[in-house]
Amino acid sequence: MPSRIMLLAAQTVPEGRVFALDFQTLSGIVIQLINGIILAAALSYILYKPVQEFMRRRTERIQSKLDDAEAMMAKANELKAEYEQKMQGIEKERAELLEAARLQAAEESSVILENAREEASQIKEQALESLAEEKKRLKEETHLYIIELATLLAEKYIMEKLDDEAQNRLLEEAIAQLEEAEWKH
Amino acid sequence: MGLEVKNYWVLQVAGREIWITETIVNTWIIMLVLIVLAMIARIKLRSFKDIPTGFQNAIEAIVETFDAFALDSLGEKLTYISPWFFMVFIFILSCSLFSVFGLRAPTADWATTFAFALATFILMLFMGIRHREGSYLKSFIEPHPIFFPLNLLGELSKPVSLSFRLFGNMLSGTIILTLYYALTPLFVQIGVPALLHAFFDVLFGALQTYIFVVISLMYVRGAVD
Repeated sequence: MPSRIMLLAAQTVPEGRVFALDFQTLSGIVIQLINGIILAAALSYILYKPVQEFMRRRTERIQSKLDDAEAMMAKANELKAEYEQKMQGIEKERAELLEAARLQAAEESSVILENAREEASQIKEQALESLAEEKKRLKEETHLYIIELATLLAEKYIMEKLDDEAQNRLLEEAIAQLEEAEWKH
Repeated sequence: MGLEVKNYWVLQVAGREIWITETIVNTWIIMLVLIVLAMIARIKLRSFKDIPTGFQNAIEAIVETFDAFALDSLGEKLTYISPWFFMVFIFILSCSLFSVFGLRAPTADWATTFAFALATFILMLFMGIRHREGSYLKSFIEPHPIFFPLNLLGELSKPVSLSFRLFGNMLSGTIILTLYYALTPLFVQIGVPALLHAFFDVLFGALQTYIFVVISLMYVRGAVD
């Protein structure tokens, strides 16, 4: 076909025109259509599709990151809820422990108080008993001392006032009384 | 800049003349620039980071915005044809932007706009038959077979109206700017044309690009749903 395609000299080129409906317009339409197809293929292959692909991949990448972040957020929320639940459990357990300790302390305190009261009462009783014994002992000692003192006084008085005869008579009376007293016991 | 689409070369193919017009050459220039830019972006894609900055941001914004737009207009099941409309979008917008630099917009030639509208029409038919099978063809004879010529005409008029809308708008901008350059003295041809270019090429161009792509997407979606 190349031998049948020929470029005419510039001087034979026809005049320009604005609009016509003829074979030249038809050939122009066909050439422009072919140009359009070539340009569409070139732009699509070189620019449009690669840029679209790049943006699609980036969107996927970002979406994947967003999904990951969302999953991590959900996991974090789950952990937080679990932690809060545990915290609530711990709080409850702490309150229970405190209550138990308080109850135990109150119980122990009442036992200690009871023991102390009992001990105090025993000490008081012992003290009273010992006091009574002491009192009794002192009374007896005082009694004996008074007897001894009275005897001494009586002896002194008698020594001054009584003669031998009166002394013997009193001695006998006293012996007689002692004898009677022994019989009583 | 002239009103006519100039012819640069004439090819003799199988005994017929094929004119290589200004439109075709400008299309090749724009294609070359876009492919080079795409290759630069592709090379830089290797060093693209998760958090985009600068050039990466611009590339991602273009692709992502169009992607969302195509998904919204075409729906999930037709997104595989979005690369074609991505090209249409970028190409028509580039045509308008390149005309700021004095390059006649290829979209100011009906051959270009009809080529893209024809592609939309072919896609519309193909997708309609592929996704709806018999029910799509049946829609041509609804509500009664007598309406077939009207329905057919309605379908055929879609690429025609689509192509003429863009062609007319782009050509009107070209005509206005050509007239301005031709009819005004030299001292007002500095500064003021920048505003006209900004309006007709950038603003109008972006608007017409959007309209052309949206209507194309709606036609294809309409054929499938």
